[in-house]
Amino acid sequence: MVKLTVDADACIGGGQCEMLEEATFVLDEETMISAVAGTGELPRERAEIVIDRCPGRAISIVEPT
Amino acid sequence: MTTTAPTDLPIAPEVTDPSLYLEGIPEERFAEMRATPGLMWHPYEEGGFWAVTRHADVKEVSRNSQIFSSAIGHTNLWDSEADALEARRSLIDTDAPDHTRLRRLIAKSFTPKNVRVWEGTVRSITAELLDEFIASGGGDWVEKVAAPLPIRVILTMLGVPIEDADYLVELSNYLVEGTGDQQSIPPDAFGNTTELRLLPFNSPASHALFEYGEKLAELRRAEPQDDLVTTLVEAAGEEGNRLSPSEFRNLFHLLVFAGNETTRTAISHGAMALADHPDQWGQIRSALATDDGALVDSAVEELLRWSTPVLHMRRTTSEATQLAGTSIEAGQKVVMFYCSANRDEAVFENPFTFDITRDAADQFAFGGGGHHLCLGAFLARLELAILLEEMASRNMRLTRTSEPKRARSNFVHGVLSVDLDVEIDAEIDADVDGGGS
Repeated sequence: MVKLTVDADACIGGGQCEMLEEATFVLDEETMISAVAGTGELPRERAEIVIDRCPGRAISIVEPT
Repeated sequence: MTTTAPTDLPIAPEVTDPSLYLEGIPEERFAEMRATPGLMWHPYEEGGFWAVTRHADVKEVSRNSQIFSSAIGHTNLWDSEADALEARRSLIDTDAPDHTRLRRLIAKSFTPKNVRVWEGTVRSITAELLDEFIASGGGDWVEKVAAPLPIRVILTMLGVPIEDADYLVELSNYLVEGTGDQQSIPPDAFGNTTELRLLPFNSPASHALFEYGEKLAELRRAEPQDDLVTTLVEAAGEEGNRLSPSEFRNLFHLLVFAGNETTRTAISHGAMALADHPDQWGQIRSALATDDGALVDSAVEELLRWSTPVLHMRRTTSEATQLAGTSIEAGQKVVMFYCSANRDEAVFENPFTFDITRDAADQFAFGGGGHHLCLGAFLARLELAILLEEMASRNMRLTRTSEPKRARSNFVHGVLSVDLDVEIDAEIDADVDGGGS
């Protein structure tokens, strides 16, 4: 599993992340900005698909420090 | 704009002459470009552009909007003076942060979740048009189904009275002409007094559409409704003036044109493909009869790949860069050909074969991803899926009785008319040979 984060400035409110992984992302309908929900974790393979499909290029993996 | 043509690089075959597209997309020329290493330089007007034809390269350009800008210059092939750029600038011709602000204003209405709210509306509009098509014994599919369907949907969302749909379809047809090199209406049509170079697609029909949008905005300012124009008008009035009058005009224009022309094209090519491949239409009918949603989803993606309604978009480099091993200077035009990416042999096996069972999820009918990914992507998918469902529930079988009359445009893959016959047959022929591609 990898932990994900959404860059609020880059998000364009496309809703793709929420559609693909509704337990991991939530789109705020007031601000039209997505954020991670729950643990914000996904298997790496799923994470890569969501990152690829995000039109705002706003999702990235939080590298363990 | 840098206009110096590179001298030691391969020159692309001509693909911008709008008359070429009367015979369909010049596929062999795009195949030649895809097979040529690096990028080819395409002369255009006094300068030229780098032609990006491979799927991987279109993807890279689409997703790097800092280097491949939509706001320097604009997203059409030709150059424009600074005042024309500003007057015509829409969501499509912006970069972050302007793009992010404009996109978030309207994004809410187009999320996968919120698009589903319109399912009933789309279904009743589709049902009515199909019933009329059947009752009239077939005929011009574009005029009777493909054109009215998406414009009625987007007009309902915008809050435009349905009585005005025909007028807006007419305006939209003139706009398509404006993307080619011949206009059938005079510069002062629709009472236009604006210089054409200041109007989207250089068309007086854009003036009429701007005027229509402004009138509707005034009505909604006075009496807000639950529609998209009210959303835009309210945003325009907010503190900090989030939406300028010019931004409103151009956004309204974009929503009407893009919400209409593109889906209409997908529905036109889609119906032709289904008519030409009765075996695959039979498979879709069987899948719907057995609730096999996965096949219907994959059929929708293949219909999108097959139709590729928008043929290209341009970017302009903000700095010197490299793409596919070719050096690009700052300020040069880069044109992504989605029609070519959707036929890239490296991604799609037998790309010229229509095959609803292939995995076409990586199709670029909505662009190559990134900030400018089609806002209406989920609405378009919904409209196509419902069209398939409603055709199947009526046991419709289409056959082609004419060649399509194609738009004279290098920008939209438009079909002006195509005659189809319709039969009602409860028996599903899933084993009929479709006759190849």
